[in-house]
Amino acid sequence: MTNVLLIIFTITLLYLGIAHRLLTYIKILAFQGILLFGIAFIELIEIDLANLSFVLLETVIFKTIAIPLFLQYVMKRNRITRDAEPYLPNFMSLIIITLIIISTFLLSNTIPDARISKIYFVVALSTLFTGLFIIASRNKLITHVMGYLVIENGVFILSLAVGTEMPVLVNLGILLDIFASIFLLGIFVNRIGDVLRDVDVDQLSQLKD
Amino acid sequence: MISFILIILMSLIFTGIVIRTKSITSGRKGPGIFQPLKDLARLFKKGSVYSQTTSFIFQLAPSVYLASILMAVLVIPLGQYKGILSFEGDFVFFAYVLGAGKFFSILSAMDTGSSFEGMGASREALFSMFAEPAFFLLMGSFALLTGYTSFQQIFHSLHFGSSVSYVLMVLATYVLVMIALIENSRMPIDDPKTHLELTMVHEVMVLDNSGFDLGMILYGTPLKLAMYGGLIANLFMGDFPLVLTIPIFLGLQIAFAVTVGIIESFMARFRMNHNAQYILTLSSVSLLILLGVLLILGQFN
Repeated sequence: MTNVLLIIFTITLLYLGIAHRLLTYIKILAFQGILLFGIAFIELIEIDLANLSFVLLETVIFKTIAIPLFLQYVMKRNRITRDAEPYLPNFMSLIIITLIIISTFLLSNTIPDARISKIYFVVALSTLFTGLFIIASRNKLITHVMGYLVIENGVFILSLAVGTEMPVLVNLGILLDIFASIFLLGIFVNRIGDVLRDVDVDQLSQLKD
Repeated sequence: MISFILIILMSLIFTGIVIRTKSITSGRKGPGIFQPLKDLARLFKKGSVYSQTTSFIFQLAPSVYLASILMAVLVIPLGQYKGILSFEGDFVFFAYVLGAGKFFSILSAMDTGSSFEGMGASREALFSMFAEPAFFLLMGSFALLTGYTSFQQIFHSLHFGSSVSYVLMVLATYVLVMIALIENSRMPIDDPKTHLELTMVHEVMVLDNSGFDLGMILYGTPLKLAMYGGLIANLFMGDFPLVLTIPIFLGLQIAFAVTVGIIESFMARFRMNHNAQYILTLSSVSLLILLGVLLILGQFN
């Protein structure tokens, strides 16, 4: 069953490659949160209740509800235009993400006797690289943060792969990362949005005293 | 043999069902199910007019096109019952015999010397080119999963085992439905109702055909759709007896026709320059099917 969810998760990565609107990105992030909830629930059902409920709450409340709502709020408040404005055409993005999945798959086959299940490894690593690619290829600050969140999801999957003995620390680290990124973004975007009106990475290079 | 007869029967009412669904969803009274058939009969009674600038290829192409589709229908099985032709690697034959038909229809479009038709031909070739890796990855994964290379053996030995195989079936159905729509230039890729030559794909290629030739080309569309519908239906049959397979076949075909009608009623056409990426998505999804197959086989866990 987790394999099914992981395959669907990989499809969301492909969809991320061809999405045009920022709202679609947000919906994909929320959907990834639901998928991570399912994976975490099935994978970690054996650990103690407090820990499990913490992980599940984190995936549902933070990844699925709070962050998408907050991103939507930031978009509305700063009047960010609805288009994602990638540097590359979406066609190339799709090819590159597919190549990322293929190459992580080939990479996972060259590693002998990995401690973790290979499908987790492939999905986590391709999620990481896809996030990195989205950061590198999109124009706006808010899409950078979304790419960062995708990377966080990849790290989360990787930490799920170590299974029932997952330490709380990893989890806490992830939560802190998300919190910090959103918090920073809130301050950052609000300031810049007030001065420059449009939050475009290209314009950051023109900042002067 | 049975599958051939069933597909021919289904092709007679396929477009009718699509048009009926469209008229019901848009609240019109609409034509009856047999109206496309009557139109075809009218066309088949007429003679053809050939432009003086065209060569023999233009006259040959519609026959080759229809014949290629009929050849492809020959290899479609029905569950455990073989098609008329069945041999090792017949899915490659299936893909390339359709490719040969498409090649001739492209040639005949270029033969007329019309710039519109050349444009349509170029688009059709491009979209088919992008759809082809998806089909081969899909059938290749199934061949890998079952260890056989002919349609009948593949579909006969496909069965639902683990939870992963269910998701593979859903993905495979999606990919096949989308390939069927692309190959027939139906709604999300191309609008068969459009009247502007600049935005047409398939229709613009047959602007110069008339009478009997046009009838053959128009009959190709429901035949191809019913053929792909038969392929999709085969995914769900396994080794059921004939009493079960025929209702499953007809039910899935009608469901497929209704789906096409609903898609055409409620979806807008993709922008022409975005089509390529949507078609390439199918290849990526097929690649995931391949990974899933490797997962089931335990090559990778």
